[in-house]
Amino acid sequence: MTPTPFTFLLLPHLWSSRNRVRRVQRSDLLRAGLFGGVGVVVCGALFYGAYWVTTQLAAYQEFGDYLLRLGLSWLFLTFLAFLAFSGVVTSLSTFFLSEDLRLLMAAPVSAGRLFLARFTRTVGQASWMVIIFMTPVLLGVGVGRCAPAAYYATALLAVVPFAVIPVAVGAAATLLLVTVLPARRARDVLMLVSLLFAAAIVLTLRFIQPERLLRVESLPDITGFFATLQSPLTPLLPSFWAGEFLFAGLQGGGDLLHGAALWTTALAFTVLLGAADRRWHFSGYSRSQDAPKARVTALAHVDRLAHALPLSTVRRELLIKDLKVFLRDVSQWLQLLPLFALVILYLYNFRALDLERIPYMSGVVKNVYALVNLGMAGFVVATVALRFVFPAVSAEGAAFWIIRTSPISMHDFLWSKFWTGLVPMLLFTEGLTIVANEFMGVDPFLKVVAAGAVVFMTFALVGLASGLGARYPRFGADPNQVAGSFGGVAFMILAVLYIILMIVLLGWPSAMWLFSRLRGIRLSALRETLMAGSFVLAMVMSVATWLLAMRSGVRALEDMKRT
Amino acid sequence: MIAIERLVKKYGAFTAVDGVSLEVKPGEIHGFLGPNGAGKTTTLRMIAGLLQPTSGRIVVNGHDLAAEPEAAKTSLGFIPDRPFIYEKLTAGEFLRFHGGLYGIDGAGIATRVHEMLDLFELRRWEDELVESFSHGMKQRLVMCAAFLHRPRAVAVDEPMVGLDPRGARLIKDVFRRMSEQGVAILMSTHTLEVAQEMCHQVSIIQKGQIIAQGTLDEVHRLAGGGHDHLTSVFLKLTGGSGLQEIDELV
Repeated sequence: MTPTPFTFLLLPHLWSSRNRVRRVQRSDLLRAGLFGGVGVVVCGALFYGAYWVTTQLAAYQEFGDYLLRLGLSWLFLTFLAFLAFSGVVTSLSTFFLSEDLRLLMAAPVSAGRLFLARFTRTVGQASWMVIIFMTPVLLGVGVGRCAPAAYYATALLAVVPFAVIPVAVGAAATLLLVTVLPARRARDVLMLVSLLFAAAIVLTLRFIQPERLLRVESLPDITGFFATLQSPLTPLLPSFWAGEFLFAGLQGGGDLLHGAALWTTALAFTVLLGAADRRWHFSGYSRSQDAPKARVTALAHVDRLAHALPLSTVRRELLIKDLKVFLRDVSQWLQLLPLFALVILYLYNFRALDLERIPYMSGVVKNVYALVNLGMAGFVVATVALRFVFPAVSAEGAAFWIIRTSPISMHDFLWSKFWTGLVPMLLFTEGLTIVANEFMGVDPFLKVVAAGAVVFMTFALVGLASGLGARYPRFGADPNQVAGSFGGVAFMILAVLYIILMIVLLGWPSAMWLFSRLRGIRLSALRETLMAGSFVLAMVMSVATWLLAMRSGVRALEDMKRT
Repeated sequence: MIAIERLVKKYGAFTAVDGVSLEVKPGEIHGFLGPNGAGKTTTLRMIAGLLQPTSGRIVVNGHDLAAEPEAAKTSLGFIPDRPFIYEKLTAGEFLRFHGGLYGIDGAGIATRVHEMLDLFELRRWEDELVESFSHGMKQRLVMCAAFLHRPRAVAVDEPMVGLDPRGARLIKDVFRRMSEQGVAILMSTHTLEVAQEMCHQVSIIQKGQIIAQGTLDEVHRLAGGGHDHLTSVFLKLTGGSGLQEIDELV
């Protein structure tokens, strides 16, 4: 038998991608257009930002060069940590949990070839996002400095081994983890690690304390600030080598030492990881299928809570089932924790940003922030609803026949889903809005408007997610796939439009009221009527969005009988 | 052709397979029977090289699976209970990829793929995505893949699940023809009629241990004789039907 090259094992993924492109559907085009459009805008902004910073730094000559060099090393250092973590998570999937391993492991494929194929896939999957975001930045720097063509070749030569090294380290960590824990349990552990990783990033950012730059009296500390930035830049890290290698290319020279360090380390890590893989992969893969007994948490408090609520038996049992299924799936609820971490950072920043130091702007900024905060709360609701409320009907999956054959109306079923999603979401966003506005010290009138508006927005967005989730279910798909489906994209577009309209309808009368009070101008009766009308319109639009979406969802579920 | 010796698989303190030994000779269809959770699938997954045995030895076509995994796997076709097929590949693409895994090169693969698709009545769907296939069609496609490389031994886990009567009949005919050509087939099944109709030898496994082994006649005798049907023998050997409890509950 002639052994086929390891690249042969990558063919199904290439063929699958080609088939997807050939059989593109309306929903795929819409999604590609939306995400592609957002991606192009972000990349354009990154390119322009990098270009602008580079051209500005050029004015400072040697100090500018120093800062650019520092910036490149920091850029790579940031991505180094991300790639290592991404390598851990991705390799857990590609080496141990991927479905196609059942086919490949039963085939006469040598361990070495399987490793190379899996590692190539891991590097690709773990680093594509970094490369997509790094490309416009490096292009911007190159164009900003009118770099020679060799710079772009250097960038390519630097990025490839730079991606391989941390991903290999991450994959080695996974291999070690899986020899201790079965892979499915390791996945839960990794979700927790991801939270710690997010917390570490937050702490690092807080440690740098960028708000110090706003303080005029702390100007002498700026050198200390840069010293803080420089301290982790050890010459032993690949991020330093990549930064130096690239900076030399930017200046039209070459830095063989750091380039060679990158490539030899990448190759050595690949060889070492391959040897470790041959030694431990099969036992780890075999253990990954060990799940004779899963731990079951009784969650008796869920039963007690549900029995304390004034609910019918049917709704109570649906609530208990939904809560227990959600809470027992660690990978589901842990996804909420990074979001909470970001929200805490967001709130902390309100406290840290001392706007009183800019007295001329502070009043305006604070009250504008009340509206920005309202929009933020809306986006948080929309995002969480997309991930957790929209897939609620689809999550019934193959077990949906149990609901459909039981004496429960589709109306009761969908409304149960709605209330289950609404209550935690309302508590969370109302708390977020009140606390943020309190920290900012916004005008009491705006505090009341924001608190009331969040109630309407949460009802409307959770209703929209429940209704569209019932209208476009994808039974059997995992929640991430459901959120990215045609219905999920349609929900997000409608939700964004709704939030923008709400901000306009609430922002205009609020601004008018604040402006009149600030200037001591009395508003005409017509103005006051228009302002009240604007508030009423916002409420009507919210209630209509909520009820119409729910009615549409119930009808769609009832129509399933006819199809 | 397939020989397993004192095979053990432990999950912590739980022993799923406990010293199983059996041999499937060339041309033999060997039924591997047992109640749910008895250790049938675990044993077959170890033979396929998907699970690492705690101890014991597996030999396929003279190749020790632990020492020469590639040579052993080349001689084996495996049909799992829950088949994995790339959903976004067409049936033809999937078979060509599968052939490549077993070293069948470009010149011979097209003819062989068509032979297999014809045999399992899937030729019309060669260029259709697997995601559009019914369960039975996916099952037949996996069988195409398992026989594509002309294996000398085949391990099959529950081959009849989800097949319509025509599909089931087709599979039985294919297995018989393969066995006539000298292929050794180890088949786990719950469908005792299928075992009675097709198997030359059976092994009955319960709680990880082989409790009866031999030809159908030998197994009948082990159960004390007097049973016309394999179902009665199976129930007798594996602990009764529990009908009395059903009467009490209904």
